[in-house]
Amino acid sequence: MIELHGVSKVFPAPNARSEPVMAVSKVDMTIEDGEFVTVVGPSGCGKTTILNMIAGFERPSQGDILLDGEPVLKPGPERAVVFQQPSLLPWMTVVDNIAFGLTLREGKRGVDRTRLDGTLETMGLKNFASHYPYQLSGGMQQRAAIARALITDPAILLMDEPFGALDAQTRSDMQRFLLLVWTELQHTVLFVTHDVEEAILLADRVLIMSPRPGRIAATIRITLARPRHWDMVMDRDFNDYKRKVMKVLRPQ
Amino acid sequence: MGYSPLQRSAEPSQERAPQLRAMVTDDQASVVSKTSYHRYVPWMVIGVIVVLWWVVSALHIFPRLALPSPGRVTRDAYVIATTGYNGYSLLDNIGASVTRIAVGFVAAIIVGVPIGFGMASSKIVFNAVDPLLQFLRPIPPLAYIPVMVIWFGVGQLSKFVLIFVCTIPIIIINAMSGAKNVQETRIRVAQVFGADRRQLFRYVILPSALPEIFTGMRVAIGVAWTCLVAAEMIAAQTGLGAIILTAGNELRMGVVFVGIILIGVIGYLMELFIRTVEQRMIPWKGKA
Repeated sequence: MIELHGVSKVFPAPNARSEPVMAVSKVDMTIEDGEFVTVVGPSGCGKTTILNMIAGFERPSQGDILLDGEPVLKPGPERAVVFQQPSLLPWMTVVDNIAFGLTLREGKRGVDRTRLDGTLETMGLKNFASHYPYQLSGGMQQRAAIARALITDPAILLMDEPFGALDAQTRSDMQRFLLLVWTELQHTVLFVTHDVEEAILLADRVLIMSPRPGRIAATIRITLARPRHWDMVMDRDFNDYKRKVMKVLRPQ
Repeated sequence: MGYSPLQRSAEPSQERAPQLRAMVTDDQASVVSKTSYHRYVPWMVIGVIVVLWWVVSALHIFPRLALPSPGRVTRDAYVIATTGYNGYSLLDNIGASVTRIAVGFVAAIIVGVPIGFGMASSKIVFNAVDPLLQFLRPIPPLAYIPVMVIWFGVGQLSKFVLIFVCTIPIIIINAMSGAKNVQETRIRVAQVFGADRRQLFRYVILPSALPEIFTGMRVAIGVAWTCLVAAEMIAAQTGLGAIILTAGNELRMGVVFVGIILIGVIGYLMELFIRTVEQRMIPWKGKA
């Protein structure tokens, strides 16, 4: 379980003429184990800052972040991150990239090959194991990045607009793929996006953020049946949710 | 879910590989093909230059002493190749120069890369080395000669040191820049998985810096050759630079040309060698 208590983040002024910026203001939130939570908001609303603080890349200016009751102080493998760019290491093959977390923890010899092969199979990357990242499509690279994050059994998967850089068709494929994997593994996910449909389609709960200073303006629980299908976006229930979210994002 | 997103990733099976290979178009294949006319462009350029040279020298536009004909240079090259120069065979002369370059250059890499990394990772090291580095950089190799002779004598050591001193700033600056410009997310990826400092260096910073280190090496090998003549002005009996200097004093321009051409060709071969190693070690350069 992840808890945020009164978390604020202030970035110092870049120069003498400007003011410090309050990116996130007094955010409280709880993410239960096994829950799929999406955070949606306009760009610059501080949603990535929240994710970076949970990941441990940045420290809150105020407030506490707790993982199972323990304060988060620095990055760690129990909070795996998938970035907007796949950020695979270009000097490693796909299989070495996926095994990266295991290699760091257990050394090159300690990596469980059967486990690795299984992951490659599930991720549809079996025939690309010894390719280099630049030889893969954007969607496949992002799948490898997800595989790299999941193979270390993290307590929570933090995803920072992971499909934002992909074309519409690939993004839709990746959403279904992520749901498929999630249905099997039932891991906790915090997924940041600016795409309202994506936020609703994936989530158990959508947190809607207001722009600067970033606050959680509303929380909407999504009770659409699982497994979710792509054509759900045309259902009335789905559009009701969409209207609710849009109303918070654009009050007029 | 009737349609699995995984199926999109299905790629051609092994049996279809020959068929696919046949579909690769000529311009795609030219990357590996030896018959592509692109390979002949450098030779054609050389051919045109030699013909122009021959025409200009045959027309006697310049005095024969200033511009020897290609035939004269070829004869001089033949004489040097068979009977040597300065009492040493051509191979000895080439060997002497290549040894000086190799020792100075390799020493510059061995010493320079760690210094560059140190400067990238520590402000103290940076502030200690940077002024010295920037101070040394604009000094021309010729200016070092008296110092080298007095400090290191007229033997091999002073020549090694001169090439070392001239190339190490390039190596240091590129290694530093490569280690500094590591993408933030790549460092974060390693941090997420709990990499310690050593692992971060080995798996992320060092490979990230390799492309720039290679760029530095390619620039530095050229600079090393430009320093060679200066190095061999220090009482050298052998070496391509020494040949050029002696022949110049004797007004034997044909021999001077032979020396110049040999330096150019060997420098080019060394560049090609580094390029090949680079392609082997960092095939992903420029693609990620």
